[in-house]
Amino acid sequence: MAGTSQQTADVVVIGGGVAGLSTAMQLATRGASVIVVERDRLGNGSSGRAAGLLGQLRGTTAATRMLMDGVEIVQELERQADVEIFVQTGSLRIAETSERAQEIVDLVEMGKSIDFEIDHLDNEQVAEFLPYMKTDDLLDACYCPTDGHLQPAELVSAYIKVGRSNGVEYRTDSPCQGLVMESGRVTGVKTSGGTIHAPAVINAGGPWSYLLAGMAEATLPTAALGHVYLTTRPDDNNPVDRLSPAIRDRHLRLYARPESGGLIVGMYGEDTVEVDMETLPEDFDMSALKARPDDLHLAMLIDAAEKRFPWINPRTPMTVTMGIMTFTPDGKPFCGTMPDLEGLYHCSGFSGHGIVQSPAIGVIMADLVLEGSTSYDIEAIEADRYFDMPGFQQRSDIKNRCYQMQASYYGKVEGGSQPADES
Amino acid sequence: MKILVPTKRVPDTDQKIRVRDDRQGVDIEHLPFVINPFDAIALEEAIRIGEQRDSVEVLAVGIGTALYEAELRTALAMGADRALLVEVEDYDDSRGGLDPWNVACLLREIVRREHSDLVLMGKQAVDDDAGQVAQFLAALLDWPQATCASAVEIQPEGLRVARETDSGIETIETSLPAVISTDLRLNEPRYASLPSILKSRKKPIERIPLADLGLEQEPRIEILDMEAVSAERSCQFADNVDQLVGFLRQDTEATEE
Repeated sequence: MAGTSQQTADVVVIGGGVAGLSTAMQLATRGASVIVVERDRLGNGSSGRAAGLLGQLRGTTAATRMLMDGVEIVQELERQADVEIFVQTGSLRIAETSERAQEIVDLVEMGKSIDFEIDHLDNEQVAEFLPYMKTDDLLDACYCPTDGHLQPAELVSAYIKVGRSNGVEYRTDSPCQGLVMESGRVTGVKTSGGTIHAPAVINAGGPWSYLLAGMAEATLPTAALGHVYLTTRPDDNNPVDRLSPAIRDRHLRLYARPESGGLIVGMYGEDTVEVDMETLPEDFDMSALKARPDDLHLAMLIDAAEKRFPWINPRTPMTVTMGIMTFTPDGKPFCGTMPDLEGLYHCSGFSGHGIVQSPAIGVIMADLVLEGSTSYDIEAIEADRYFDMPGFQQRSDIKNRCYQMQASYYGKVEGGSQPADES
Repeated sequence: MKILVPTKRVPDTDQKIRVRDDRQGVDIEHLPFVINPFDAIALEEAIRIGEQRDSVEVLAVGIGTALYEAELRTALAMGADRALLVEVEDYDDSRGGLDPWNVACLLREIVRREHSDLVLMGKQAVDDDAGQVAQFLAALLDWPQATCASAVEIQPEGLRVARETDSGIETIETSLPAVISTDLRLNEPRYASLPSILKSRKKPIERIPLADLGLEQEPRIEILDMEAVSAERSCQFADNVDQLVGFLRQDTEATEE
């Protein structure tokens, strides 16, 4: 392998999840030679376990634009790769408390102000849309018909297909063993198949990205947090149409969407599992993560799910998916370089939104690597925003801040004209 | 009715299993353990019987070191009424624990102490796949047995058990007490509910040292060597059906030799 493979490239991407694959595809489309090195198999980490919910209306216009552009990129990908990635089910946000109802009023107002399709729905309309959901306690709901979800597996394969046709080389089972450093800049990646030299290296290592940054003695404030969702098996008594809308219930901290005749239900709980990636075995396989029958987080999820979908209980035939998300202290990703360290571009920390952000992120990363700048407003996602900032340097502080971010996610009640920044 | 559910602690089936360099066991350093999946099915069935009938007690039994408490706690959270750990100091999870004969002898003592009416257990443990304990135990107790159950129905005078065989479903009736071993399709084990998990934390796990049962281990099996199954595969492309048939024929002949 080492003897036959090309050992130089314009860009080496570390990490074969959606962030790395999208970036590699965009770079190659613009003529760069790209090698992707992946420790395991492509799309087998967080990307392979994602629910892929796409809620385009976000707290800022910059974030909303990124997601709306992402849909266009995906539609182009669908044509090129001949697969269905985006399932436009529409999305529904529901409120059962007055604070949550006010959030919906604000959200509808904000959406309309930027000509985003969104409107209130009354309980009868909601019940018609979602016969399998409890609706009699709802105070308000809003519906966004252009939302939906991206199918993660199809997205991964489309990135690979289009990337490969543009010359991207994918090396699987190739963990990054170190970075090549020359006078303060990163110039290559060491793997078991030899050293690959490149003037630009992308750190798209997801939950491992803080360890990769550490190889260059840089501090990337991300933390790996566990997440769990369930997928019910098709049930004739509670059929779930494949195009029924995605649901977000912030009061119960739940999200849900249709999947193969069943329903995916996940939860951003107050409490989650912290994972120290450095303690995992070298050949750790995220797809082998499994919930114990008495997993407390799963039990809390099922308990909450039952309140909204009364036919779900601990005995409902279901598949449980466990994975690891990469959170940051503010829930926004890190994209770009850090001061005093050229050649290493970070692309990580998507905090549970990597699938839907990846299409536009690939464009942004390619802009940054090839042009040095991008037309997107990336102030909120720049990699250096916590650089040298006290309180964001020690692992224990970083973990604590990321953990708090996850815990408050869905939990906090949004006030005033500031709509919730969630998908 | 007192139902005894013997369970074995085994490596989680989704994990990669590595044989240690000394070839005397598997590497258990990062290996998560679970209740043997077939035993979890037996446990689920016992819990369901308890939910449908009055005065049923479900006792989950484990054999091993103190490490087993975690899995017995899972059994309690799923709905077992009690849990009992038979402590065997030198129990080695990396080598499949005790051999089937010793397990059966040990369980006989537990059945006697507990005055069990029904033993429900997995048809085999997925670590060593021996598939012998239920049959040994029934013989030692001189009880009727039904193996590989795919349906269990409590009758006024005993049990009706369906067994999936190669030629169809066989239905048999047996009196109680009896030993039943469970197959994959009997049920789908539940996840524990939140209240049940919280309640289970207060349930005690009884511990009995092996010696207190008046037993000593008398190994009947000696593990000489362990070797990982080679994962290497070769792939041949057939240009047409005739060639494919030829490949299959070659392969069949090679196997038959």
